[in-house]
Amino acid sequence: MSVLAEVSGNLGAVGYGLAAIGPGIGVGIIFGQGVQAIARQPEAYGLIRQNMLLGFVLTEALALIGLVAPFIY
Amino acid sequence: MTPLMLVADDFKAPGPSIFDFPPLYDGAPYWLTKPVLMAIFGAIVVCALAWSAFANPKLVPRGMQNVGEMGYQFVRDQVARPFLGKDAERWMPLLLSLFFLILLWNFFGVVPLIQIPVASHIAFPIVFAITIYVIKIYLGIKHQGLGGYFKNMMFPPGLPKPIYVLLAPIEFLSNLIIAPFTHAVRLFANMFAGHLILAFFSMVGFWFLFEKLTPLGAGLGVVGVIMTVAMTGFEMFIQFLQAFLFTMLAAMYIGNSLHADH
Amino acid sequence: MTLAATFLAAEGESPLLPHAYELVVGSFAFLVVFLVVGKILTPRIQKTLAERTEAIEGGIKKAEDAQAEAQRTLEQYRAQLAEARQEAARLREEAREQGAAIKAELREEAQAEARRIIEAAHAQIEADRQQAFTQLRGEIGRLSTELASRIVGESLEDEARQRRIVDRFLEELEGRPEAVR
Repeated sequence: MSVLAEVSGNLGAVGYGLAAIGPGIGVGIIFGQGVQAIARQPEAYGLIRQNMLLGFVLTEALALIGLVAPFIY
Repeated sequence: MTPLMLVADDFKAPGPSIFDFPPLYDGAPYWLTKPVLMAIFGAIVVCALAWSAFANPKLVPRGMQNVGEMGYQFVRDQVARPFLGKDAERWMPLLLSLFFLILLWNFFGVVPLIQIPVASHIAFPIVFAITIYVIKIYLGIKHQGLGGYFKNMMFPPGLPKPIYVLLAPIEFLSNLIIAPFTHAVRLFANMFAGHLILAFFSMVGFWFLFEKLTPLGAGLGVVGVIMTVAMTGFEMFIQFLQAFLFTMLAAMYIGNSLHADH
Repeated sequence: MTLAATFLAAEGESPLLPHAYELVVGSFAFLVVFLVVGKILTPRIQKTLAERTEAIEGGIKKAEDAQAEAQRTLEQYRAQLAEARQEAARLREEAREQGAAIKAELREEAQAEARRIIEAAHAQIEADRQQAFTQLRGEIGRLSTELASRIVGESLEDEARQRRIVDRFLEELEGRPEAVR
């Protein structure tokens, strides 16, 4: 069987790339909506930023699990 | 094979092995490595800076006290008060020492000659995360009762019954296993990856400009140097942000344990 | 399992596995920082910040007090000023009255003086006139006598001669005016 295409390197890197897609979108949505919310209600800046950061760290957790997954398995 | 690849053939990107440090000198005890030394050094520096700022506080702040008060007020207004409310002052000692220590350990990543973010060795974030985890569970059981704590955690009120079948295990898992895990890993992974990126770009610059200087490779080396500078600035921002986020999450966990409804 | 083993073998120790000695050092470092920064230093700065808040609030109160005091002093000063003004006005009025009285008195005096002088002058004039009158009377009598003697002494033929005599007499009279006075 002849090899048509080959990817060499660490499979973990590919895995992390895939794992980063979802959190990337999620973080983008969180900050986009957060900025919109701040633009609408600048007086609620403190509350919005707090919840924005909270959502950010929860979403980021997925990307972090993706980053460390290659080291676990 | 292009000429660039020929040059790049011998180039080996830095891997996780750059975080392995041998003992400092021959015959040193096996545990006395650079990160350990820097962890102790960082703790001493934090104590010294805090001592010079707060040891003899004046009503009218001057010099170091200004800087220290800036840090104190940042932690109090941005971290403690939004999550702890009236309990903020009581938890300031823990949060402040947490914030200062993590911040300085992180900054070691860009200080010349030190250049190792202490938190990129996962043992150090684990220490913090476990401390917060223990405090969180202890406070939760103390303030809400053993059954009440788990009930509030797994069965938040005001949802239709069937949802709880799904929600309860998820909440249990996320609160007791995922939360402390990501708490520690977030700090670790950011420092680890950031240091790796810095190491990679500086390695590119060093390799293509000094080790194997070729006409084609020189451009790449320049890019590496520029990126190193840019990423160093970005890394400092990340280091600050991670110290802030770690402290903020700690405050949030403590606050959730103190007050059931949240 | 074999993959993980080879991976671990290739990369050395997994970065996710904490070294026991680092856990110990980390706990120790955190404990030291917590004791020094948290337990010793944070209460100090908290105390100072509370004191500063108090001081600022106290300062505000002090400033309010000072302002009230200043206000009171200002009122007092204004009252005193008004009193002084009134006093000054009163004094001025008094002075004016006194001045007017003095002026009136002086005028009275002056008028009296003037009247006295005028009366004296009148008396003097009257006396002079009286004297002149008596003197003139004597003189005129004597002159009339002299004239009559001359007229009688001369021949009284014609009118022209008579006239000339009278004229000459009158010229003589004019020739010695001091006698008339």
